[in-house]
Amino acid sequence: MNVAVTVDAREDIPAWLAYGTPVFTVLAALAVSAIALVVLDVSPVAAYRTMFVETLVTEFGLSETLTKAIPLILTGLAVYLPLKAGLFNIGAEGQLVAGALAGTWIGLNVSLPGLALVPLMFVAAAVAGGIWAGIPAYLRAKWDVNEIITSLLLTFVALEIQSYLLRGPMQGGTGNFPQSDRFSEAATIPELFGGVHAGLLVAVCMVIATYVLMTKTRLGFEITFVGSNDEAAQQAGMSKFYVYLLVFVVGGAFAAMGGISEIAGAQGRYRAGFEPGYGFTAIPIALLGRNSALKVMLAGLFFAVLFVGGSSMEVAFGVPAALVEIIQALVILFLITAEFFKSYRVGIDLKRGPAETPAHPQRGDD
Amino acid sequence: MSEDTTLRMEGILKEFPGVVANDHVNLSVERGEIHGLLGENGAGKSTLMKVLYGLYSQDDGDIYLDGERLDLGSPQDAIDAGIGMVHQHFMLIPRLTVAENVVLGEREPATAFRSDAEDSWLPAAIRNNSLVQSLAGQFSLGLDVPEQRIQDLADQYGFDIDVSAKIWELDVGQQQRVEILKALYRDVDLLILDEPTAVLTPTEAERLFDSLERLTDEGLSIIFITHKLTEVDAIVDRVTVLREGRNVGTAEVSSVSRADLAEMMVGREVLFEIDRDAVDLGEPVLRARGVRATDNRDIEALSGIDLTVRQGEIVGIAGVSGNGQKELAEVMAGIRDVTAGEVVVNGDDITGAKPRTFVDSGVSFVPEDRLQYGCAEDLSVMHNATMKDFRDSRFGDRPFLNYGELRDYAETLVEEFDVRGVSDVTETKAGDLSGGNLQKLILAREIYRDPDLLIANQPTRGVDVGAIEFIRETLLEQRKAGTGIILLSEDLDEIFDLSDRILVVYEGEFVYETTPAEADRERIGLEMTGGGDDEGQMETSPPPSGVTQGSES
Repeated sequence: MNVAVTVDAREDIPAWLAYGTPVFTVLAALAVSAIALVVLDVSPVAAYRTMFVETLVTEFGLSETLTKAIPLILTGLAVYLPLKAGLFNIGAEGQLVAGALAGTWIGLNVSLPGLALVPLMFVAAAVAGGIWAGIPAYLRAKWDVNEIITSLLLTFVALEIQSYLLRGPMQGGTGNFPQSDRFSEAATIPELFGGVHAGLLVAVCMVIATYVLMTKTRLGFEITFVGSNDEAAQQAGMSKFYVYLLVFVVGGAFAAMGGISEIAGAQGRYRAGFEPGYGFTAIPIALLGRNSALKVMLAGLFFAVLFVGGSSMEVAFGVPAALVEIIQALVILFLITAEFFKSYRVGIDLKRGPAETPAHPQRGDD
Repeated sequence: MSEDTTLRMEGILKEFPGVVANDHVNLSVERGEIHGLLGENGAGKSTLMKVLYGLYSQDDGDIYLDGERLDLGSPQDAIDAGIGMVHQHFMLIPRLTVAENVVLGEREPATAFRSDAEDSWLPAAIRNNSLVQSLAGQFSLGLDVPEQRIQDLADQYGFDIDVSAKIWELDVGQQQRVEILKALYRDVDLLILDEPTAVLTPTEAERLFDSLERLTDEGLSIIFITHKLTEVDAIVDRVTVLREGRNVGTAEVSSVSRADLAEMMVGREVLFEIDRDAVDLGEPVLRARGVRATDNRDIEALSGIDLTVRQGEIVGIAGVSGNGQKELAEVMAGIRDVTAGEVVVNGDDITGAKPRTFVDSGVSFVPEDRLQYGCAEDLSVMHNATMKDFRDSRFGDRPFLNYGELRDYAETLVEEFDVRGVSDVTETKAGDLSGGNLQKLILAREIYRDPDLLIANQPTRGVDVGAIEFIRETLLEQRKAGTGIILLSEDLDEIFDLSDRILVVYEGEFVYETTPAEADRERIGLEMTGGGDDEGQMETSPPPSGVTQGSES
């Protein structure tokens, strides 16, 4: 039997494929994960029911999901906006930490009524995150230093600073734990509804602001143009320097708002081990939603479901935490692989009978 | 139909949304001939060839090669059938050697997976399994094929190429021969060349023609896509003319005149001569003094240029490519910094200002490299049409932008400048336009804003006859409207036809000034090569293209 695998570029993407791909890939990823569940003697159907259905229909599941989505959407935007200008912000995690630290410091050391203090915390966080993101942006805009490397490495610097501050100047509370004091009532982000804090409002506003920026303003036009061909953009009088700096600083501010939302909205105090990985999950979120800020929001919500549903499954069925991570990783992997199948057609030719022609007839006389 | 017919395309129909690219086109090619495919940009030449090469599938019609009907689903099918294509933009990897590039698309599996490898660590039973073979062919790559075999092939067709040289060491002409070699290595009988001379200097083009004649002597058939009539005369045996997606006719080149062909192409009589009315010169729009600038490698490219351009004046700058024209254009457009001297536009000294200041001062620029500076090929026609004017207040109050207005503006440009191939200005990407139409779009953008100074670098390069005529007329109209124009061109005829004043640039300096009326072509040719001054008979011809630079990498 003769088997040949062919890979061809697609001319155009059929509509059913464009819209169906995300659904198929998620189903495929879940099917593969089911093997692992069966091996652990857990019914995949029951497990997935817990993971998705219960997460989406119970009040607890919904409020957890929305809370989780806040930092994911904001960090997603932090990667999305630079991506539109052709830059990769791999350091959203560091910007998130920098913002969370600055916001926490304000929240613990300034006494104001809540209506003024919480916005001030957000502003402080945004400034810190913007500065943290501004460093790689400036290096890139001015001297063409690769922003992928600098933004990533600055994440580790931010984490070390966090570790120092919470074991030193910002340490508080009782006992000798590396954590801050609890936030006062005024410094805690108020609840919006059913256990979801008002950070959600901030996230939605930022999504809308980004959407308007990219589709309705001159600045969005410039960002799009610089992202597509920076040399032509400069020839037309646009400033690459300005655009690069702007998308990174604004992106850093988004990530930072995500950080302070999580600390002052969900956690209640800053613990030294704070390293949620949102800034890294933000990369697939931004890639999935790269066509529009609204899609970034959808992708952020989807990943929140995965995270929350995964934890419920872990508790309900006693499956190892690693398995939940495997499912999440497979979904990401399949979604990215799907891009390949969207652009290429893969076929397998089966020809029965003797293999008359060798697979590579060009091979000759050596 | 003659017995010698090797390729027959019958009734090929290919439609794109809103455009019929090929409207029942017939084409037949005989064995051993060079068959020209002539037509304006957007006439459907490239589409037809993409159908033949399996990149597009036709909506109707059949393709027969040596009497057999072909069903081409991909370029691989076309190659298997013996059809090769050399694209206008080379598909080579600069860091790899010639030999490696030649085998690259062939999907030679890595050594370990070869069925005939002797020292593979994989057992033969696995290696010979057809599924393993197929997967290895698809997903692994062996670049260590014997160079000798490829060298022999090159020698057989008289290509003097060192196959162990790296691509980046080769000049453009040699790189093109590597592309041809790639096709030959795949054993093709029919070779499609898509505007092969667009990137070549005249000398390199001569060498290409020699190579092609050698190929046809060996029995290959060649389809030669072009829109240059001189090339048709020089190399083509028979020619098929396409216009607006239809086959206008096929003719023996020896039996038709150049003017006939041009008329077939454009559908009306083409004026090779342009009337130029006298225009009164106005105030100087540009005054540059003592301008020095360096090229991308920090070597001085402009050594003290003085240039004044007045309203309604076209200053033609002639010179052999690489004598500072690119840098001159970029300095005047504000995208390259000067190292000395001053640039005064409309009386304002804007030396060293940002490109934005130049744009706002009324400077327009048609760059030499359309894809590098001229447009963003992944963005829509609308984005590209408004790339400079989107700041204008008519497109909405700051900071907002009215995309509906942008769209209307882009549609106006497309209509008034006859840019073809645009079905929807917000959907069609600039990169999908053919060269001439993209150039029209860029010119439209630069001219519609009514500039005071227009810098046009090689505005008609790689553009078809109809579009050339249009672009030249547009430039003259703009001159009448009082714009000062700097025209840089390697086409001396163009310089002569359009300019009020001619300057010859050589090694970053103006060495000669004249007017078309009193110009002496020989003198200009001499000045262009640095032979104008009394003592210096300088050797300026480039080293023979067969020589590769040392291979330190």
